[in-house]
Amino acid sequence: MPEADDTGDILEISLERIENLLKGDYGISRRSVGLLLLQEDREIITLVKNHEPESFNRIKEIIDRTKTHYREPLSYIIALDRQQEASRIAGEVIAHAPKTSLSLKEKISRMMINPISGIPIMLLILYYGIYKFVGEFGAGTVVDFIETDIFEKIINPRVTQLFASVIPWQVFRELFVGEYGVITLGVRYAVALILPIVTTFFIAFAVIEDTGYLPRLALLIDRVFKKIGLSGRAVIPMVLGLGCDTMATMVTRTLPTIRERVIATILLALAIPCSAQLGVILALLEGHSLGLWVWLGVVGLVFLLVGFLSSKILPGGSPSFYMEIPPLRLPKLSNVFIKTATRVKWYFTEIFPMFIFASVLIWAGQLTGLFGLFTNILEYPVRWIGLPDKAAVAFLFGFFRRDYGAAGLYDLKKAGLFSGNQLVVAAITLTLFLPCIAQFLMNVKERGWKTGLAISVFILFFSFSVGFAVNLLLNIMGISL
Amino acid sequence: MSFIKKIAIVGSPNVGKSLLFNRLTGIYAVVSNYPGTTVDVTRGKAKIGEEEYEVIDTPGMYSLLPITEEERVARKILREEKPSVVIHIIDAKNLERMLPLTFQLIEAGLPVVLALNIIDEAEKIGLAIDLPLLEKELKIPVAGTVSTTGRGIDALKGRIKEYARSR
Repeated sequence: MPEADDTGDILEISLERIENLLKGDYGISRRSVGLLLLQEDREIITLVKNHEPESFNRIKEIIDRTKTHYREPLSYIIALDRQQEASRIAGEVIAHAPKTSLSLKEKISRMMINPISGIPIMLLILYYGIYKFVGEFGAGTVVDFIETDIFEKIINPRVTQLFASVIPWQVFRELFVGEYGVITLGVRYAVALILPIVTTFFIAFAVIEDTGYLPRLALLIDRVFKKIGLSGRAVIPMVLGLGCDTMATMVTRTLPTIRERVIATILLALAIPCSAQLGVILALLEGHSLGLWVWLGVVGLVFLLVGFLSSKILPGGSPSFYMEIPPLRLPKLSNVFIKTATRVKWYFTEIFPMFIFASVLIWAGQLTGLFGLFTNILEYPVRWIGLPDKAAVAFLFGFFRRDYGAAGLYDLKKAGLFSGNQLVVAAITLTLFLPCIAQFLMNVKERGWKTGLAISVFILFFSFSVGFAVNLLLNIMGISL
Repeated sequence: MSFIKKIAIVGSPNVGKSLLFNRLTGIYAVVSNYPGTTVDVTRGKAKIGEEEYEVIDTPGMYSLLPITEEERVARKILREEKPSVVIHIIDAKNLERMLPLTFQLIEAGLPVVLALNIIDEAEKIGLAIDLPLLEKELKIPVAGTVSTTGRGIDALKGRIKEYARSR
């Protein structure tokens, strides 16, 4: 075994003495247990404490004494030793064919990681992958086609007619084909709005993922993320969040510490718009390029500021980050297809019932007047940030799904009810506003009731405060976007 | 209680673990290119020779001394499920960096088979690896594989079969 060679006898003798004291069955060799003990593995220490109550103190003594003989932590000494042995064997079994220069792949890979070339590359990928492909093509062209040419021209009139002849009661007709009907609103939003946006996002994500770009992005972003208490590892949940924040919140499990998970959950809930929302917001701000920049700036600033503050407030140390970099590859069409298909199917089966449910809930809420009450309450903060009262409805819907809310604003914009400033303020507030009900439930599930609820309450107040501040600032400076 | 033998596939993220799992079990799962995505443990059945095995796709691990939750889960599986064969799958290009985990697995007394995966890419960048010599140094079976195309998988199965019989 590699450790035996030249670790210095102290480590080896201590190890042997510990081995002799171990009696229990640990599923791995006693030598292995001994080495883990010397490296102060907490799980193993607890295990040994339970298994060997009589000799545990003796073992602890040996470990403490061994430690005093080395300046570096024992885990470092042991790892170094293994690495030397690995290098020796690798040197023997690998025959190198000399490589004269870096391959093209390697050059591109380095460019992606180097900030000077990497940030433009990242922006380019976001611009073409997300803005152009998802935003303009998915949320624009495809949505327009399905919504206008299929739903408004073909499906809605026929379905309305059908229900008009089948159901004589106005109230129940409303449930299916009214302003917020299951078919005219629920199915339409799900199929015409969300499906194309999410599908195009997943295609873009699968292509980016399959090339091996994500780990490089993680390295590039690592330094900035360290400032906000995260590490490059958090890039995946964040990028996924641009697809679906609920899913991304689930993926925060890959972050090693609870602190990182809480920070990532807050940021996802607050400042990362999901693809559906992003698509609608891009559509909302279409033709207001200045407004788009203001939106991007404010949301970006909030992201960094809140991340920075929570990393200061939450206890715990900075994360460490180390990652394998896979080779760059050309994406495989079959991979991209299977990944996209699986994810779209998963996502759609998850959200479709929620849209129907939300429609029914809104219908019931309207019937009972409960919604009117909520809307009236919400009108105050909405007025407060300088928006027309009608926007309150969109904000209320926003909780059922954020994209639902954004889509509601989109309808208002189409009706010409917004000025440029109001559009930007609305887009910002709704981006920051409470996560959708699914994400709220996921927050609670992953972070527990206390944290999940606290995050939501914080966001409720914070989003309107930012909306208020932006509106005020724009007005004071006399800017109209 | 079932007495079906188990095969655990271990290795750091992004070396083709899930693909190898699919190759052995024939069940398709979404294969992700990103390190650390395999949070869940995937299980499947494989028939190698006459014997049926339960195959466990363990979460990615870099070392037996865990840092992340995934590594903790992977170690727990190794300690508690008593696999008959542990396939340590590594990226052949990074042999030197990945051997330390092989050492730790051998040291733990686990029945390790080493799979040098993505060996085609190693060859492409001009690395020739002497597998018999590596086998002699480590005293465990070694196979070169390409889990994306299936190259070397049959040889790996052969090594597993021999190994399981001899133990």
